[in-house]
Amino acid sequence: MALVEIRNVHKSFGEVEVLRGIDLAVEKGEIVTIIGRSGSGKSTLLRCINGLEQINGGEILVAGERVHSRSTDLRKLREHVGIVFQQFNLFPHMTVARNITLAPVLTGRVAKGDAARELALKVLAQVGLEEKIDAYPGQLSGGQQQRVAIARCLAMSPYLMLFDEVTSALDPELVGEVLKVMEDLATQGMTMILVTHEMNFARNVASKLVFMHAGMVHEEGRPADLFANPATPELANFISSVR
Amino acid sequence: MLQLNFNQLWRYQDEFLHGMSLTLLLTLVATLAGLAIGLAGAAAAGSRFAALRLFVRSYVEVIRNTPALIQLFLIFFVLPYAGLRLPPVYAAAAALSIYMGAYASEIIRGGLASIPRSQIEAGQCLGLTRWQVFRHVILPPALRNIYPSITSQIVLLLLGTSLASQVSAPELFHAAAFVESRTFRSFEVYAVVCAIYFTLVLAFRLAFAGIGRIAFRWPTGR
Repeated sequence: MALVEIRNVHKSFGEVEVLRGIDLAVEKGEIVTIIGRSGSGKSTLLRCINGLEQINGGEILVAGERVHSRSTDLRKLREHVGIVFQQFNLFPHMTVARNITLAPVLTGRVAKGDAARELALKVLAQVGLEEKIDAYPGQLSGGQQQRVAIARCLAMSPYLMLFDEVTSALDPELVGEVLKVMEDLATQGMTMILVTHEMNFARNVASKLVFMHAGMVHEEGRPADLFANPATPELANFISSVR
Repeated sequence: MLQLNFNQLWRYQDEFLHGMSLTLLLTLVATLAGLAIGLAGAAAAGSRFAALRLFVRSYVEVIRNTPALIQLFLIFFVLPYAGLRLPPVYAAAAALSIYMGAYASEIIRGGLASIPRSQIEAGQCLGLTRWQVFRHVILPPALRNIYPSITSQIVLLLLGTSLASQVSAPELFHAAAFVESRTFRSFEVYAVVCAIYFTLVLAFRLAFAGIGRIAFRWPTGR
């Protein structure tokens, strides 16, 4: 069974049906990018995967567990599913080290003190920011904050990472450093699902491309194929509009 | 021409000191009780139960929109008819706590609401429990947000303890009235009492500023 199985998922906000029957499977080690126009339901789908949003129909399984089942311990599941947000969402009152080690310490993965600091240093090394360990988020650039947010996820050793438009709030010159970190993660075999507008990343790094349109998976396949030969006019239009 | 004479007041040092300590005690008790009420009120204001929300809303509005002196009179003069006869100091402590609780409820509720939803989500997504999210993610920045209003409310409370003199609780203002009745040096007495209140408030404000600087060191804004 795939690591993530999304089966006929429906989701409405009031009268508006945002997801209209989504089917998608993500295997371990895959890097899946979800593209599409704003309002096509990309971010909503991502937020459904770790239970931030309720669904109105269908089911989502992560590592065999039904995310929206009452009997599922969502908190436990989230220890293993990291998410990085567009607005970083670092905790402003904690240093970088504390941002990173808060959850590992509170969930009992690492002891407070030296061990925790070592963990912080290890994951900061992965995003190239060891020297910022004692800084506060307010003292960092957007790109640095986003890299810390990624490190914060990594500290929980997740088996799945979700990225919700993580470069969209960054100044253009800071996008590269964040993408670089994500490329490194991809090479190390992390399973990743990204909602993104970075077409180069979708084309060159992703193993699967999903094009969402009007609340459905309109096309999916290998990025190279989809970019070269879009099967539908909607994808063709979308590709030419973002070029 | 007005002849100032502070000499007679020295004999009443003890009255002033006792008054001052009761003023401080009332402030302390009403602050602690008021904060506890405020925390409960803020929690209840976000409750699922409409009746509880309505109760807190009514409490806050009634207390904030009526004179504190009348609230004190109700407790001291009217509650005995319902069989609850409180000594002056207890009645004053109760009235001031209820008064402080209403303001604290509003301030704390606002402070908690000022924490963006996205911060809470970030905490949840890291696998933290509801309590851990509240304790580590919401509370510290919320405290910083409410700190200026809650501390100035405490200062207002300190000045408001003078109302307790009206039910003859022997706090500072009551001591002043007593000394004045013995010496007939009204101007001098109230000048001294005023200076004491001023000094107390100044000390409170300096202490609050110092505590705030130590407790809230992270840079604001992003």
